[in-house]
Amino acid sequence: MLVLSYRLVTGITTGALYALVALGIVVVYKATEVVNLAHGELFMMGGFLAYTLHVMVKLPYVPSVLLAVAGSFAIGILTDRVAFRPLMKEGLVSVLLATIGISFILKGTARVLWGGKGDYLAFPPLVSPEPIRIGNVMIMSQQLVVLLAALVVMLVFAAFFKTTRAGKFMQATASNPRAAALVGIHVSRVYMYTFGVGAAVAGASAVLMAPLTLLYPDIGFALFIKGFAAAVLGGLTSVPGAIIGGLLVGIFEQLAAGFIGTTIQDVSAFVVIMFALIFLPTGILGVRGARKI
Amino acid sequence: MASHRAFLVALFAALAVLPTVANQYTLFVANLMMLYIILALGLNLLVGFAGQLAFANAAMYGIGAYGAALLQVRLGLSYWIAAPCGALLAMAIGTLLAFPALRLSGIYLALATLAFAQFTQWVLLHWNTVTFGAGGFPVPQPDFSALGMSPDRGIYYVSWVVTVVLLAFAWRVVRSRVGRAFVAMRDRELAAQALGVDLLRYKAMAFALSGFYAGTAGALYPAVLAYVSPEGFDLFQMILHKAMIVVGGMGSIVGSVIGASLLVYLLEVLRQFKATQEIVFGALLLAFVLFQPRGLVDFLKRWVPGWAEPLHYASDRESPSEITVADELVAGSGGEPSR
Amino acid sequence: MSSLTVTNVSVAFGGVQALSDVSLAVSPGQIVGVIGPNGAGKTTLLNVICGVSRPDRGEVSLHGTLVTGWKPSRIAGLGLGRTFQTSQLFPGMTVLENLMTGLHLRGRVGLIAAAFRTPSMKREEAEMRERALAALDFVGMRAVAGRSGTALSFGQQRVVEIARALIGDPKVVLLDEPAVGLSPPRVAELDILLRRIRDERGITLMMIEHVIRLVMEVSERVIVMNSGHKIAEGRPDDIRRNPDVIEAYLGRHDDARRPAP
Repeated sequence: MLVLSYRLVTGITTGALYALVALGIVVVYKATEVVNLAHGELFMMGGFLAYTLHVMVKLPYVPSVLLAVAGSFAIGILTDRVAFRPLMKEGLVSVLLATIGISFILKGTARVLWGGKGDYLAFPPLVSPEPIRIGNVMIMSQQLVVLLAALVVMLVFAAFFKTTRAGKFMQATASNPRAAALVGIHVSRVYMYTFGVGAAVAGASAVLMAPLTLLYPDIGFALFIKGFAAAVLGGLTSVPGAIIGGLLVGIFEQLAAGFIGTTIQDVSAFVVIMFALIFLPTGILGVRGARKI
Repeated sequence: MASHRAFLVALFAALAVLPTVANQYTLFVANLMMLYIILALGLNLLVGFAGQLAFANAAMYGIGAYGAALLQVRLGLSYWIAAPCGALLAMAIGTLLAFPALRLSGIYLALATLAFAQFTQWVLLHWNTVTFGAGGFPVPQPDFSALGMSPDRGIYYVSWVVTVVLLAFAWRVVRSRVGRAFVAMRDRELAAQALGVDLLRYKAMAFALSGFYAGTAGALYPAVLAYVSPEGFDLFQMILHKAMIVVGGMGSIVGSVIGASLLVYLLEVLRQFKATQEIVFGALLLAFVLFQPRGLVDFLKRWVPGWAEPLHYASDRESPSEITVADELVAGSGGEPSR
Repeated sequence: MSSLTVTNVSVAFGGVQALSDVSLAVSPGQIVGVIGPNGAGKTTLLNVICGVSRPDRGEVSLHGTLVTGWKPSRIAGLGLGRTFQTSQLFPGMTVLENLMTGLHLRGRVGLIAAAFRTPSMKREEAEMRERALAALDFVGMRAVAGRSGTALSFGQQRVVEIARALIGDPKVVLLDEPAVGLSPPRVAELDILLRRIRDERGITLMMIEHVIRLVMEVSERVIVMNSGHKIAEGRPDDIRRNPDVIEAYLGRHDDARRPAP
């Protein structure tokens, strides 16, 4: 029982992180109808930047995190300028291929700067590795920190959209770009910031995840698939759906690992994607019409 | 003879006589080049001509390779039986992908096939009892002593014949009713249907073809390299294939050949530097998509007299009578629509 | 027997009722015009007929065969052609190749025949070329046969698309705003072309149009739609005077006015 509850806790924690990755994907997709295939690498760069600043340059934790997130934001903006803006009128194929190109440039750069295949970077834990007991449930204090931090990020995210001007502009543009342009919203700039925000969320989730696992350049793609699975499950256009999807993927993964075997973790996301696309084409909370031409 | 056809004839004539003058390494690279030509042709048929944005080519390649290799190593079958089986297996699985392709489009199809590719990679890595796992395994090369040739030479000639046949096949398919159906489906799916093009049939055909091509290249792989491992069929392979058709020219048969040839050369030059490989190929893909989306054949078409392939690749925006939201917004950023 | 029958068709998309209980029947060899304000459901009606959209309720039949729920390519095989509001010429092909694709259903060449270049394949290709050139002659567009699908002027594209829709010898053709963006002399040419299609080829035409003058002059019957309903049907002169139609276009007026041309 203890093991099961531990698995659930782990599932919820990793699920919260997947939810954040999914959030980044959904935010960009809602606005631009494009999935940034370099999103995983944006995540990865965030983590590596945090590592560089905190472990190599020895900055204290909080400034490292903030700078890493800012760095991710900047790379996100760059992605928009380089891959999306010049190519969106050429069609989806061009944009996707361009984002793939970017993802490999980022991955290769990370490999060159921080280490090759098989090199894993260990981020120091934030708190002592003692498990805490809450009622019948065991949780690592590290996990608790991460979970709370993920919640904070989600709340900040929600607040950003609901209260700030920039957030409202982004929402307006996402739901009706033509109308947004007509009322004077600078749509291409909104797209740019959307990419930036999506990337920043990815960077933030990497930073949160760093103390829990090891960092390596290929982590981007693995996370991306899981984040995408979560996003599709929740409905590619739904922000709350992304969160629910993330939690479900995280829990499913842990349960599958428990009942079948740990290596199944790597493909549980694939199973979720196929299941979602076949049986729940619009996701749990998505809007109809997003699928077939 | 039209210049683009002359180019192909010259290339393959050169490849035919290469064994007489080249050392073992050069022969190996040339053989690899032919495998990649096959891969690029298949992928171009699916993505460039039929417009199906799929990312499973490297997985099909792997299925063909592992199929051929495992049938030899685990079941003791002769290469000449194992190889076609591997190719057909890849074709069959590739065809199955056509069914989700019917219901999914654009980004969903791309990611579904990508997830499938990742799943295949996982199977190759972890199903140790069958696939030998992450380390891979050696595969005996077929024996050509009856013809008085070393295995390397023998498999080179086999690859040459297979490549020429598959090239001719692709060349002809594209210049037929099937080729037109593919392009119609790619360019304007609704109008294609209105003219009677059965989407399921032609999507299945496109997936089957690309699966067969990739599977055939895969079936040749263990004979050329004498070893298979999951690493050869990973995400980087997928990018490599895509880069080949983008650089060479999507929707172009000759472009597939050019892209594959050039990029194999580049790959070998960069062989020591895995990380640099990733950066270079990523940058190449990005640069071409941004600045030369129609690939190198576009240059050749303009500057070489007599170069004329039918059915060119057209991007979404090549329709002057259509105003897209994106156009208006980019042109009129600042709030005022430009029209 | 009518060429095309629509019976009690209703379609809703995400909360919007695009078509409500629409019925109509088109006799062979007629030109039927479909008019109505924007959002009336005219294009949706065409989409349902040709199989792109599936009706929630109701039936469609073509030459007496029930085709509701069939996929569009199959309905096309029964002799239905269609043009679209925006240019749907295939940009990756020449005009000639576009026309040859129009003969897709008349061809039999598949992968094997293509791969081996059988004599029957070569014969079929040559025949398709001939027929494509002849179709271009019919609309006076032979000169542009070698040009890419998008290198034509807008007006030329519209005409070539019509030729492409006709080349497979359909018995019924649906036209979605064939006159959109055409200057008055081109509209007059279109008028003549439509009559030729009906008279020389015996093809039934169903045409959505906003250029009311064209519709009134060329159609034998006119159907008027508004907000997903068919609100009137009859001869052009009767429609012109129909108060419901006038109201739909212009709102309620005390004195009867003609709808804007």
